[in-house]
Amino acid sequence: MLAGGFVTTLQVTVSSLIIAMVLGILVCLMHISHKRVLRGIAKFYIWIIRGTPMLVQAFYIYFAVPQLIQLSTGSSFRIDVFTASLITLSLNAGAYLSEIFRGSIESVDKGQMEASRSLGVSYATSMRKIILPQAVRICLPSLVNQCIITLKDSTILYAIGLGEIMYQAKIYVGRTMESFATYTWVAICFLLITSVLMLISRTVEKRMHA
Amino acid sequence: MANQKIKVVGLKKAFGDLEVLKGIDLEISSGEVVCIIGPSGSGKSTFLRCLNRLEEPTAGEIFVDGESITSNGADVDRVRRHLGMVFQQFNLFPHYTVKQNLMFAPVELKLKTPVEAEKTAIRLLDRVGLGDKVDAKPRELSGGQQQRVAIARALAMEPDIMLFDEPTSALDPEMVSEVLDVMRELAEEGMTMVIVTHEMGFAHDVADRVIFIDDGVIVEQGTPEQVMDHPQSVRTKSFLSKVL
Repeated sequence: MLAGGFVTTLQVTVSSLIIAMVLGILVCLMHISHKRVLRGIAKFYIWIIRGTPMLVQAFYIYFAVPQLIQLSTGSSFRIDVFTASLITLSLNAGAYLSEIFRGSIESVDKGQMEASRSLGVSYATSMRKIILPQAVRICLPSLVNQCIITLKDSTILYAIGLGEIMYQAKIYVGRTMESFATYTWVAICFLLITSVLMLISRTVEKRMHA
Repeated sequence: MANQKIKVVGLKKAFGDLEVLKGIDLEISSGEVVCIIGPSGSGKSTFLRCLNRLEEPTAGEIFVDGESITSNGADVDRVRRHLGMVFQQFNLFPHYTVKQNLMFAPVELKLKTPVEAEKTAIRLLDRVGLGDKVDAKPRELSGGQQQRVAIARALAMEPDIMLFDEPTSALDPEMVSEVLDVMRELAEEGMTMVIVTHEMGFAHDVADRVIFIDDGVIVEQGTPEQVMDHPQSVRTKSFLSKVL
């Protein structure tokens, strides 16, 4: 049962991170684009996500948005808890990742884009072949850090009833009264995954600087 | 003029309220080597960067080979292929090897196959004296070597005009001459060159024409002897007295 909870935790985290990665790149490109509307949308989105707690975001997506849809369409609307969780975590991580990506792209020397453009290469190709490969190296540590944060934050989804590890642990403790053993087990599960992530990040970083 | 390469008419550039170029008119012929000198902040780098539209001019027109590059429909990317540029900070691509730096644009723009581009790259690197560094990464090279790679990278596009933006200003003194030697050879081969520089001796030696820019206008221009040995304007005299 606890193991099942942990599988759900990993499922929702990994799927959200994949979605968030795509979302983050899109929002980042919108944010640095010359079109004012795109920039505005990106800024607004990041402002909302950064400015509200994830617990509120989760409640909003699971309870508030379905009610709004119900009121405006007149027909009943429900969203299942895994989908709501996936959306919450993706939107949340997406905003932070987009800021990480933007910071990395902007920290690549301006002369790199100029050198590439001066050779007659288009903006898009210069971005893809010259800027992004360098930005990826820069953003890697923060990227891993965000993965760790998202993994840990997924426990918040317990509040809307997602059957993730904390939810299952709480039920388990209620039945067996084994608080100490259960929560220790939960903590160790997280430590295991986060340690592996940190190790990977350190190895990759070392290889890149070599 | 049949062999006119670049024509600049009424070029102005402002950054916000600050007007950096206040109306520049200039014609450069094929094979001419033009050195632009002037105090820092005078607008000479901005002028050079307008020539390949790394800076958007605020007003005025620029023609390369008789074709406007400042009109709305101008294909900047295509124009830039004919205009090689060398930067003060080299701006080599750190994630590519030296050879790949040269191959990147010709291959990406499908002007050459990778095999052809590699041959050209090796030939050009030989020419700038770096035939033994083709597989090195830029960070393993000295400043002078990096700048020579940057020149070779620009040449790999087979440009007919080369722009140099203070190419030796970021170099340690002992590395300046190796870069200037490469530029001198290019000039002797008949390349059209526009060089923003603080190397007065080099300008005097190599330039067909020296242009003194101050405060966003061309104050004086002519042969090196005219401008540098017998300057007419007070501003030119005062500048030269400080740098010579």
